Amino acid sequence: MNLKMKAALAALMLSGLATAQAQLAWDKTEVELRPKVGEKEAVAQFRYQNKGDKPIRITNVKSSCGCTVPALKKNDVAPGESGEITATFNIGNRTGTQVKTVHVQTDDAAQPGVTLVLKAVIPEELQVQPAFVYWQSGEPVKPKTITVRAGKDVPVTTVAVTSSNPEFTTKVEKGSAAGEFLIHVQPQDTSRAVSSTLTIKPDYPKTVYATARVTDAAAAGGR
Amino acid sequence: MRAMFRQALLLLGLAFLPAIGQAVYHRSSAPWNQPALREGEVRLEQARDWGDSVIWVDARPDEQFERDRIPLAVPLNQDRWDELLPQFLEKWSPDKRVIVYCSTLSCALSHDVARRLREQAGLPNVYVLNGGWEAWQEALKK
Repeated sequence: MNLKMKAALAALMLSGLATAQAQLAWDKTEVELRPKVGEKEAVAQFRYQNKGDKPIRITNVKSSCGCTVPALKKNDVAPGESGEITATFNIGNRTGTQVKTVHVQTDDAAQPGVTLVLKAVIPEELQVQPAFVYWQSGEPVKPKTITVRAGKDVPVTTVAVTSSNPEFTTKVEKGSAAGEFLIHVQPQDTSRAVSSTLTIKPDYPKTVYATARVTDAAAAGGR
Repeated sequence: MRAMFRQALLLLGLAFLPAIGQAVYHRSSAPWNQPALREGEVRLEQARDWGDSVIWVDARPDEQFERDRIPLAVPLNQDRWDELLPQFLEKWSPDKRVIVYCSTLSCALSHDVARRLREQAGLPNVYVLNGGWEAWQEALKK
């Protein structure tokens, strides 16, 4: 390899490095939040810095869900400048693990798009276990029990249960622990398929649901 | 010495021939090409063998479910869990296997939904489709 070729190769490598540097560097692209019971929203911050030597324009910021609102203070990022995108997730009635994404587009050819991930683990104010009881067709008519437990710092002293179908009866009794209730559910008979939604209302502003069903399947193993 | 080296190379080349054939003609079925199974996951080939005994559960957001889905799949995402769970349970029966899927191999939603179905609803035979919707679409192209 002669000197000219070596110089050309070195120039090519250096230009490649320069291109790679012209991009937004993110502190992290995934944030996990653990909001407390009763919190209405969870806010994630995604910080970035332009580590290149030319300005970058953030052309579009779009959320995967109407429940998550992304916000950006300014679109143009000068070399060396830092900034952040905030994503506000409206919790609403959601429970469990929620994953929302925010897609960011820029005019940086080296990295035109990046996906930011907001993961929120939302605690359950009321835990229903199991949320489903069923009887197989012809199974003996015996009550099955659903346990309702209030979460930490959730003050529940009574629970009322209504069945959408009068063919199921329910009876509530207090459990052994504070904030624990046992709901005994029973169908009138198990000779035909029938189902009901049980609405569980405690003296706390949160309603939860369970399902009771008599299935018509022949397989064994009913709860 | 040189002849020995040539012979060793020849033997090595011969040993590689079946592997090269596998890689060229049966690339998709090559074991190294299949993503590893996580706990509770099932491959699409296995799911298809189960036929009509499967209820497909789509754990992706509503917009993605509306756009396209596995035929007869039932929506059950965490955004509308309280509302969708009773609708799913109406379709469930004890003789069915439940297979939950989300978008891709790295997507965790299907595992979260499967866990809630096992733990909260107490359902048996709940699986997650390895590779998710992406794997289903890939299979359609073949």
